[in-house]
Amino acid sequence: MAKHLINLGIIEPSHIIYEGLANILLRSTHHFQLYRPDNIEELEHADLKYSFDVIVVNPICLQHNIRSFSNLKRTRPRIVWIALVYAYFDREILSQFDNIIQITDSAETIINNIYRQVQTSVPGVDIPAGEHITERETDVLKLLVQGLSNKEIADKLNISIHTVVSHRKNIIQKTGIKSQAGLTIYAISNKLISIDIGLSSPPPGGGKALIKRSVTVPPSLL
Amino acid sequence: MYKTVRTYIKPDIRIADLVFENPYLLLLLEHFDLDLIMHDKTVSQICIENGINEKIFISFANLYNGFSLSGSGGFEKEHIETIIRFLSNSHNYFKHDKYPEIQDYIKKLYEKNPTAEIKLIGKFFDDYFAEVTEHLNYEETVAFPYFHSLLHKVSQDTKNQKNRFSGAEYLEHHTDIESKLADLKNLLIKHVSLKNDPVNRRKLLFSLIELEFVLNIHSFIEETILIPLVIELEKKQNLG
Repeated sequence: MAKHLINLGIIEPSHIIYEGLANILLRSTHHFQLYRPDNIEELEHADLKYSFDVIVVNPICLQHNIRSFSNLKRTRPRIVWIALVYAYFDREILSQFDNIIQITDSAETIINNIYRQVQTSVPGVDIPAGEHITERETDVLKLLVQGLSNKEIADKLNISIHTVVSHRKNIIQKTGIKSQAGLTIYAISNKLISIDIGLSSPPPGGGKALIKRSVTVPPSLL
Repeated sequence: MYKTVRTYIKPDIRIADLVFENPYLLLLLEHFDLDLIMHDKTVSQICIENGINEKIFISFANLYNGFSLSGSGGFEKEHIETIIRFLSNSHNYFKHDKYPEIQDYIKKLYEKNPTAEIKLIGKFFDDYFAEVTEHLNYEETVAFPYFHSLLHKVSQDTKNQKNRFSGAEYLEHHTDIESKLADLKNLLIKHVSLKNDPVNRRKLLFSLIELEFVLNIHSFIEETILIPLVIELEKKQNLG
């Protein structure tokens, strides 16, 4: 099984404790990408860029920020919130978290506690190795590289635009390729479409494509 | 905000030791117009001898070692000229060194693998290169001169609206440049199969990875150091 990176933010004022926790997580068998925002406000900003799966917070950092914390919790339901506790906190504060880790927990317990939460909340955190795009995604991809718009693809395949968008997101996530030109190359490599490019013509830059089968690549790409 | 195992660079460390640890620093030295032979000199000595602001040098070098800036970095308008000089030197590296080298590797790859994919990769890179060149030229002819004029309080020619500097446009270019490079890397590492030329593909990939490394730092310097400085300067001048 290949695993996705788990984006994890740690908000913890003590440097020693941050480094210790980071060390435990990075050495575990799961793949964590770690970030250390300074506070809740920075977290909100950073989330737009990194889209966190898990946030580990020392509740002491929330004392004057309970409101931003509740807001974040409400607006980012996908994030798992875990309290990192080594002082006394009111039960009411702790009850807002999905799980709690104690500073005296063993490394194994800490990792398991975090990972168990992620498994249940982040779909597809375990992905089978070499997963290919599905048949439906292939249909979308074929039309996409012909230069069709979301609307046109939706009409052609008789699905909603929303579904087209979600297929496109999956294609990008699975292939790692965002641009249309890049996806065209991907489609050719995987024999989803084929083009005949007159191989005797001059190398990269020149040459005109002839399209085999019923798939057309827009001239702008060739 | 991110982890690294490399040395956090300080003034009294010997440059040669740093280069052994992270050879990419050779590019940093080059872009500061420095001789690459360092003997046993420290960071601080090299900066003094060559009239380079130590703060800028150390901050940039630490970016190369994977350390982000702490806070806003504390840069001032006196630093702008040095920063622009550094960035212009890296433009030369992109335009006249790295990009032609990559084009050449793709061409060689195509000679041994005359397939549709490689041909399209060549085309993809040519288009990408043209786009980057346009952005770099924009910086050289519009952005940097505008920063200069701000610094020296020369009033700008506002008649020509088309050549006005725009922060938003600047950032948009960056995102696009980075994402296309990522596409190329993904294609070459994960998808496009080649039968005949593993050596060339490896060289091409190393080249792309080096380019990506330098380009990311380049964008970072522009976005988080230079542009905020310029905006600050604009504000002050509007008030005065």
